[in-house]
Formats: sequence, C-alpha cells, structure tokens
Amino acid sequence: MASQLILQRLGLALLTLLGVSMFIFWTTEVLPGDIASRVLGRQATEEAKQAFRDELNLERPVYERYGLWLTDALRGDFGKSLVSGRPVVDAVLPRLHNTLILAGYAFIIYVPVSLLLAIIAALYRDRTPDIVVSLFNLLGLALPEFVLGTLLIYVFAVQYPLFPVMSMIHKAETLAQILHVTTLPALTLMTAMAVYSIRMLRDNLIEVLQSDYILMCTMKGLGRVRIVILHALPNAAIPALNTMALNLTYLIGGVVVVEQVFAYQGLGSLLVESVFLRDAPVIEAVALLSSALYIIANLVADLLAIVLNPRLRSR
Amino acid sequence: MKTPGSGYWSRLRRLPPTLLVGLALLVPYLIVALTGQLWAPYDFAQIGTGRPFSPSGGEHWFGTDQLGRDVFSRVVHGADDVLFLALSSTLVATLLGGVLGLACGLLSGWFDLVVMRIVDALIGIPFLIMALLIVASSGPESSGDFSLLIVVVTVIYAPRIARMARAVAVDLAARDFVIMARMRGESTWSIIWRELTPSAAGVLLVEFGVRAGYAPLLIGSLSFLGFGVQPPTPEWGLMISENRSAIFTAPMAIFAPAAALAGIVIALNLVSDGVARLIGRAKADS
Repeated sequence: MASQLILQRLGLALLTLLGVSMFIFWTTEVLPGDIASRVLGRQATEEAKQAFRDELNLERPVYERYGLWLTDALRGDFGKSLVSGRPVVDAVLPRLHNTLILAGYAFIIYVPVSLLLAIIAALYRDRTPDIVVSLFNLLGLALPEFVLGTLLIYVFAVQYPLFPVMSMIHKAETLAQILHVTTLPALTLMTAMAVYSIRMLRDNLIEVLQSDYILMCTMKGLGRVRIVILHALPNAAIPALNTMALNLTYLIGGVVVVEQVFAYQGLGSLLVESVFLRDAPVIEAVALLSSALYIIANLVADLLAIVLNPRLRSR
Repeated sequence: MKTPGSGYWSRLRRLPPTLLVGLALLVPYLIVALTGQLWAPYDFAQIGTGRPFSPSGGEHWFGTDQLGRDVFSRVVHGADDVLFLALSSTLVATLLGGVLGLACGLLSGWFDLVVMRIVDALIGIPFLIMALLIVASSGPESSGDFSLLIVVVTVIYAPRIARMARAVAVDLAARDFVIMARMRGESTWSIIWRELTPSAAGVLLVEFGVRAGYAPLLIGSLSFLGFGVQPPTPEWGLMISENRSAIFTAPMAIFAPAAALAGIVIALNLVSDGVARLIGRAKADS
C-alpha cells in the first residue's frame, strides 16, 4: 500500500535525523575533549574554567547534555556562540536566507539546462552534439567547484566584467542586484550538478526511445520532438528524479566551497568560519540544519518516485 | 601456427578502449609520483627560485608562485602526495565498508538493522559538512595530518560502500553455494572471505576505482577551504587556492595544478569504467 510505504519512509527519515543529531553532538562536544580549556586557553584559571563548565552544563553526563541540546534545538534554541556570545539563531537565519536564494537560483536553472542537454544528446545519439555534451560532462566531472568558480570569475568578472568578483549578497536589495551577484556562483553550482544528471537522463531517454510504445507513436505519425517531450520524457524522468533530488543534496554540501570562492555570506561560509574558530554551537546548528534539509530532499525524491510510479503504488 | 586473435597485440586491442586510454593517462602519473623526486628541477619548498609570480617560460616551465617557488617542480612533487592520499584512504574505506556491508547482507537480523541505521545516519550528513565536522572534532594541532584526511575520506566513503556491498551480499546469500557453506557449518568470517569476497571483488574493485577518482577532488576542496593539507605541501588543491590572486600575471600557476587534478580524476574514472566493462564481459561469457 502506498500510504504504508510513505509512512515507513517518513519513519526512517526521522530515525536517520535522530542518528545524525547524535553524530553531530558526538563530534562537536564529546570528541574534542575539554571545551573549557580549548575556548579559554590552557592558561585560564581553574575557577574560570569551572564557571564556564557550569554555564554550559559540561559536568553533566553526556546523554543528559545531548537530551538538553536536542530539546532546545527542536524549540529553535541553539544556545549562544562561544565566540561572539550572541544567540546562534541570529547568526544562522540571515545566512540560511542567503544560501536558499543561491541554491534556489541554481536549481531553477539546473532543471531546464540538464533536461535540454539530455534531450539533445539523446536525439543526436553518438553524433556531434552528443559528443560535445559528453565532453562538457567529463570536464565538469574533473573540475572541482573551486576551479570552475575561479575560471568563471576569470572570464565573466575580469576579462568581461559582467558580474562582480565578490558576491556581496548582504548589500543587494533589488531583484536585479540579487541576480547580478548570485549568477556566477549559481552557474558554478548548476554545472557541478548538471554533469551528474545529464548522463543518466540521456541513457534513460535512449532506452525509452527504443521501447514499443514509442515505435507505436512514430507509426502513428507523431513528430519527433512531440514524442520525446510528451511521451518519452515522463518515463525517462522518473528514475532521474532521484538523481535530481540527490543533486539537491549535493547543493547543500557544494555551497560550502562555492560560497568560499565568491566570498558569499551564506550558511556554508558561516560553517567554515566557525570550524576555524571551533565554535561548537554554531557548527552544530549549521550541520543539523544542512543535514535536515538533505534528508528532507531525499525523502521528497523517494515519495515522488512512489507517487509517480504506478507499479510501486499498487504494491 | 598461431590462431588469429590469440596474440599479445590483438588481445590488447580487444580490451575496452576506456581502460586503455585510462591506463595511458594513469601510468605517467604513477611514474611521476614514484620518480618525481629524482628529476624535479627544484625542491617543492625552495623559495626564491625566481621572481614571485613570474610567467611561464624559460627556466620555469609553469612560472613561479607568490614565494618564487617553481610551479613545475611543485606539481611534480605533488603527484605522490595526491595519489598516496587518494589511494590509501579509499582502500581503507573499501575494506572497512566492504566487510561491514557483506557481513550485514549475510547475517541480516539485528546486526544488519543496527549497522544499516548507523550507515543511514552517516550518509544523512552531506559529505563536505561531514568532512568539516571531523576536522572540528580534532584539535587545531592535527590539521593537515595525512591520517586525519584518511579518516575523513573513510568516514565519508565507507558507509556508502557498505550499503552497496550489503546489496551484493543479500543477493549472494540466497545462492546455493552460500547456503551449502552455511550447512557445512562454516564460520561467518570464513563465508565472507571464501564465498562472498571472490564474487563481490569485481564490484568492490570498480567501487574502489570510482571513489578513488573523486578522492583527490574531496581532499583538494578541503585544502582549498584551509582544512586539508597544510603549506608548504605541494597538494594541487592547495596550490590553486594559494595562487588564485595571480590569475592574470601567472595563470599557469593555477592552470597547471588544475590540469593535473583534472587529469588524475579522468584517468581513475576511465580505468574503473574499463574494469567494469571487463567484468561485465567476463560475466556475459560465463
């Protein structure tokens, strides 16, 4: 039954999120050892360290601290930054907003671009357009985001100064300004994502195009483009939906590097800054938030596949 | 008389082209990694071999970086670090993930359930975030340690490999030869090693190759963020990050390590694609 399957996936996702929260807490608060000496320095007096431990409940058993942390986090309270002393939420929310703008923009251009290139490659299978698309894929696979981003800056910000070298998103106000500063980082993310799904969509399309019902469409005299878009694409896209959602998950990790390349004030660059400072509460909040988004994206992909696939639905 | 197609040359020509091209790319990397120290014109850390950020040409094939170090020598010296890190970390991850996944698929029950939920949780963290969490969990004093980077790659890859190996083992566990081995009373470890591993080795080998192909990108990205290999190690990702300001004056200081990085990723990917095709052929023949 579909509803049972959906409930099961939901349960698994919640369980995974619980496991993720345990792992995050373990790596940031248990493994590093005595946070008090690390934050205050080895020279700090014993009284100062003790006061610090009391304030953060560091004397309590690990499972109690984890429980407190998780219940607070569920209520949206991630504590205070060890460095600035300000609530973590105040630092995270504006950065999350910026990252969502960038990720959303990248995803909006990613879907049509990968669909279009995959359709072209499948229609001109083994001919020049297909080979050009494969070469683009191979290059995209082999060039890490920080090289790709640097190349884009070189061409479109320096040689042809269409876009800024640094993406000052926090100073952009109008939609035009936002698009102006986010286009290059979004293009970088889009390329890194597209290379994974173009190949898969193309192979799926080619397989579907060889099936009997497509032959039937051709014999009925339907046009090639019409067959591909209306009859073949929906069937080829269902297995690719999972890849697309997996790409959403890539996006959540990929922004870390891309934001750093473009000096973009997002969640990823906040994470990098707080890892440098070993600011545990901020690291926990960003890691938990990113993982939650990641798990939700995976869940959505799964549910979409169940809803869209009649064979899975009837079981 | 020789039968046609049995000669050395024609056997070579029947190998998958991706394997041949991949090996043709990979072998030079291995040679440079093993012998580079002997013939690189300068030491990788020697500063002031020329004017800082001098363009390519003359004595410095790829120019110099901001400290006047010879970029060509640094790219050559970097090969062994990059290859060692990628191959050793992926090997550890494949062995660990492979054994865990095969055991889960064979045993099922509680062990499988618990290990797979841990695997789910580890995969539920995006890999760069996972890498940064592990960096944060270790002290600043261990930043740049090769062992830390190997741990990072292992924690990211092993759960994904375990999930795949489990699927293979679930399939194999229902086959007659495994059921027979169980009836003979063989130990779990012996079934994994003697019955499952030979059948799963091909899949694991391909998985190793593909993962090893991306490991240099992962480690390079970490170095770019400042959490990977530390200066003056000539790791290619770190070199790109260090020389970013010289994109006009000495572009080769970025393009050379970027090309080296792209080449090794392509080479390892082509080789694993070729191996996968060979295994597919062997299966079709049997």
